[in-house]
Amino acid sequence: MSLPTDTPATVAPVPDTQLPPAPTWRRELRRAWASMVASRWALMGLIILLIAIFVAIFGPALAPFDPNRQNILLRLVEPGGAGPGGSVYWMGSDALGRDVFSRLLHGARVSLLVGFAAIAVGGTIGIIAGLLSGYFGGWVDDIIMRLGDIQLAFPFILLAIMFLVVLGPGLLNIILVLGIGQWITYARIVRAETLSLREKEYVEAARAMGDSTLSIMFRTILPNIMAPLTVIASFNVASVILSEAALSFLGLGVPPNVPTWGSMLSESREHLLSNRWWLAIFPGMAIVLVVLAFNIIGDWLRDHLDPRLREHG
Amino acid sequence: MWTFLLRRLLQSVIVLIGVTLISFVALQIGGDPTYLFVSENASTEEIERARALLGFDRPLHIQYLSYVWDVMRLDFGTSLTFRQPAMDVVLAALPASIELTLFSLILAIVISIPLGIVSALYRGKPVDGGIMTFAMIGQSIPNFWMGIMMIMFFGLYLSWFPISGHVPFLRPLFQGDFARAFGNLPQTLHYLIMPAIAVGSYTLARNARLVRSSMLEVLQQDYVRTARSKGISETRVIVHHALRNAWLPVVTMIGLEFGFVLGGVVVVETVFSYPGVGRLVFNAINQRDIPVVQAAVIVIALIFILLNLIVDLIYARLDPRVKL
Amino acid sequence: MTRIKTLLMASAALSLPAAAAAQAPENTIVTALSADITTFDIAQVSERGNSNIMRHIFATLETTQPDGSIAPDLAESLEITEDGTGYIYTLHEGLTCHDGEALMAEDVAYTFNRAADPDNGFTGNVPGFLFSGMQFEGAEALDDRRVQVNIRTPNPIARGLIAEVMVHCMDAYEAMSIDEAGQNPVGSGRYQMVEWDRGSQVVLERVVDESEAPVERLVFRIIPESSTRTAELLAGNVDLVTNVPPDQLDVIDANPNSDVYIAQGLRRIYVGFNLSDEFAAMPGGDAIQDPMVRRALQYAVDVPSICTQLLNFECERATGLVNPPHNHPDLEPYPFDPETAEAMLDEAGWERGEDGTRFSIRFQAGRDRYLNDVNVVQAITQMLQDVGVDVDLQILDWASTYVPLIRERNAGPLYFLGTGGNIWSEFIDMNDLNSVEAGTNYTHWDDPRWFDGWDVIRDPSASPEEIEETRLEMLRVFYEDGPWLHLYSQPDFYAMSSRLNFTPRQDERVYLWTATLE
Repeated sequence: MSLPTDTPATVAPVPDTQLPPAPTWRRELRRAWASMVASRWALMGLIILLIAIFVAIFGPALAPFDPNRQNILLRLVEPGGAGPGGSVYWMGSDALGRDVFSRLLHGARVSLLVGFAAIAVGGTIGIIAGLLSGYFGGWVDDIIMRLGDIQLAFPFILLAIMFLVVLGPGLLNIILVLGIGQWITYARIVRAETLSLREKEYVEAARAMGDSTLSIMFRTILPNIMAPLTVIASFNVASVILSEAALSFLGLGVPPNVPTWGSMLSESREHLLSNRWWLAIFPGMAIVLVVLAFNIIGDWLRDHLDPRLREHG
Repeated sequence: MWTFLLRRLLQSVIVLIGVTLISFVALQIGGDPTYLFVSENASTEEIERARALLGFDRPLHIQYLSYVWDVMRLDFGTSLTFRQPAMDVVLAALPASIELTLFSLILAIVISIPLGIVSALYRGKPVDGGIMTFAMIGQSIPNFWMGIMMIMFFGLYLSWFPISGHVPFLRPLFQGDFARAFGNLPQTLHYLIMPAIAVGSYTLARNARLVRSSMLEVLQQDYVRTARSKGISETRVIVHHALRNAWLPVVTMIGLEFGFVLGGVVVVETVFSYPGVGRLVFNAINQRDIPVVQAAVIVIALIFILLNLIVDLIYARLDPRVKL
Repeated sequence: MTRIKTLLMASAALSLPAAAAAQAPENTIVTALSADITTFDIAQVSERGNSNIMRHIFATLETTQPDGSIAPDLAESLEITEDGTGYIYTLHEGLTCHDGEALMAEDVAYTFNRAADPDNGFTGNVPGFLFSGMQFEGAEALDDRRVQVNIRTPNPIARGLIAEVMVHCMDAYEAMSIDEAGQNPVGSGRYQMVEWDRGSQVVLERVVDESEAPVERLVFRIIPESSTRTAELLAGNVDLVTNVPPDQLDVIDANPNSDVYIAQGLRRIYVGFNLSDEFAAMPGGDAIQDPMVRRALQYAVDVPSICTQLLNFECERATGLVNPPHNHPDLEPYPFDPETAEAMLDEAGWERGEDGTRFSIRFQAGRDRYLNDVNVVQAITQMLQDVGVDVDLQILDWASTYVPLIRERNAGPLYFLGTGGNIWSEFIDMNDLNSVEAGTNYTHWDDPRWFDGWDVIRDPSASPEEIEETRLEMLRVFYEDGPWLHLYSQPDFYAMSSRLNFTPRQDERVYLWTATLE
């Protein structure tokens, strides 16, 4: 399991070079693509990710069955075995006779949704907190950073368990808990970057031109610190997906009628000793591949966006 | 230095108040825990009496303030399920968890550093690819699943390691029973290997990649080039120059990773039926045993604070540029 | 990834450990339990696995036998006073506790009164369930060997309840604080505790003659994860596992070193209809107020298939709340007949709407408490949906969320529960609903045809025939118009190493002095 308290320490420290206010996107994209193709790993990650996103969007339409349609007389059917009415369970059926393939396709949507939504929640809170903290400093900074200390000293898993036991498991609650669990990661990075950017010439210039504080924070500073945030977000999606699986294992995952890869994997554990491998292999592979893809892309983004590493190529 | 320590101390107090307050509020808003401590047929009066006995009839802020007052006098309350001092319950489970976290961190470091170095030195070669693939996958497997797979394969099928359980080493050691502690040690390690790998696989994999990338960076630095050009042997260059600096990010991560490793511990302790704090606190949350949860949270936060202090001090030593 | 797949397949395909199975130590039975042990105080214990261990350490005045009869234990005889409120037990001669103290009538009285003392704040099964069930008044020593237990009113189930109370000596417990007593049991039974490694294991050693308990040492290991428990059994490190998941039975059976034993348990699993006024105002809660709707839903659930498929067990669907042999002999279990269910629901005025739904209703259940419960409630949900009831299933954390709801009688409108049963009295299983206001009447059912029946049963002047007639009529009302959707009595699955000879009981009590090792 992986928990979002982890801060990839390899994330670029504040670059010494002064960033341009706006990169030229087209050139950047071309360069990115070239470097991605050059690194076969990154290309592989991208392909896996695109497939996963495709499945998340179109999977439910492709699924041969309702993922929650049970058929307890046709439970634990092996992959390729006969389903109801001449149909086939391509990836077998689970302990309630639900089609594993359909659940896997639907699960892609929920698992990725949990991953992205949690990052959106944590990222938004973290970015705002970090901007405030870094831009204003003083007591604002103190309060926010102390809150962060508290959060870090409180192992995320305990916080998650506590709130899920109390609030009850549910998709929204899980997203909130996983998201709130990592705001501090973003806040710290944004704060550090903001501190250094605050005194840069183009920020000074914006201030001199009478831009509002809000505009300076969100229009001038934020775009320039998106790079390290993207790197972290990529790693974090991976760890959120693993966390969701761990919470499912502890019985705090999504409700049983919501298929996620984590909950499918967790349900499979009672059947491993009795050789029902398909219950574990398919969701397990899906998790490993997607987590792998996010990690690879995170790596690549870091290498690609970190100017120091780039120089040494 | 002293102002640094003083500032840290102050921050620690704030953190402790924060974590206890959060866990207190979280467990209380879930509803009245009294029902968990009365029997099925309890009458209304019996429930009222139990509520008063447990102190749940008082307003929340009074409950919390009285708790803080008790804690200041080092009274951490009585466990509602065990009916023993809550801190004793937590401290009894702590040595086993320390063994597990420490061993998994050691394992992760001992394995990851050579892997990272080899990988960096053979950059782009098949060895590098193999190690990095291994690391990537190690970082992507949910650890409860890895635990169950290890139980089935290395425990049941190959019988290399015990399937579950724990032989104490630190507890007899703390009790001063050295003969028993060191007599147990081989068994302790034998029982620890699978859970430690399950807990540490993520850390191991990530550290290997971390070491690799910081090694690569250091190897490009001027002073390493200079050293090489002076004809100093490659081993010396690696050990004396490169490795010394490659350590820094790993050390930083260990401090940050503690909470993360502990999260893995909750799950892995359940899979391997390992009697540690993770399982204790998970059960305590489920049972609403608030004093035990609070005591555990305080202990964990203290360890976290201490660990980060140590990391900062080590960091200051390793990197002369850092001033406390 | 292929590496993982091969690894998984390799390990899954095997059912036999390759190396010679590590044998558990000689003359020792190792039992794997799922839940933690929290106390060794007889007044504080409430969890079954915990009290099963303690019953080896502490003896009782009398003991219930597997067949439901009551046999002597510490007491050699029992007299009941004429008014039926005093139970006078005469103890065997020469009894001692494990610390050597003689066990006398005053020790028994002390045990009972200590557990009942509100100042001690005990919350276990003894003060909470047994004493409140028998309406305990107090206990007193009449002389060295005779002790009298007093109850408020005559009660047909009091004897069986008293037989559940474990007994200890006075001096040792007077000397200990309640904290200490919870950790240092000084017992009166066949075994004494020699080690308690919290969260890990409990070790007991025999203190009586081999003829009274053939096996010398008992080890109880706590292994929360069910696949780990089964793996330990297959590896030969554990002799007995209780509550084996149904889907692991085949693997255990196929392994030459282990066997499966199935006991028809007494725990009654049902779906309750909460009929409270509060729920009557809620969607679905209004529908189930009508007995016809409740009866219709009985036909919608395929209990035999749930049993064979999800529990790996052929069961007979229950016809009420009483376990055989005391159940109503003439009632037939409701068949699975969705057409009848639909027709009855139409007739009751709940026709399918345009979206195919008749009404919506919330269905609450706790998690991982009963055999395969999460799957069973999902299957029931599907079956109810198939007849047009839109079920909103909520699976809640057992201890922290579901138990409080049940205790406040606020679970529902549909809720899933398993209530422990007994066979030592024909009334004990009915006792959950001994009054409309009973704490265990989680349904708020108030049908006078049931509740007025208790007046006849409790009437000392009523003849046995009259009482039995009333009882059967009550059971018929319960079957037809009652507040339970009848399911089954839960089977109990035990997995054992082949060296262990042990016959589990129906009532989830595991008493290992009846076991032997080969």
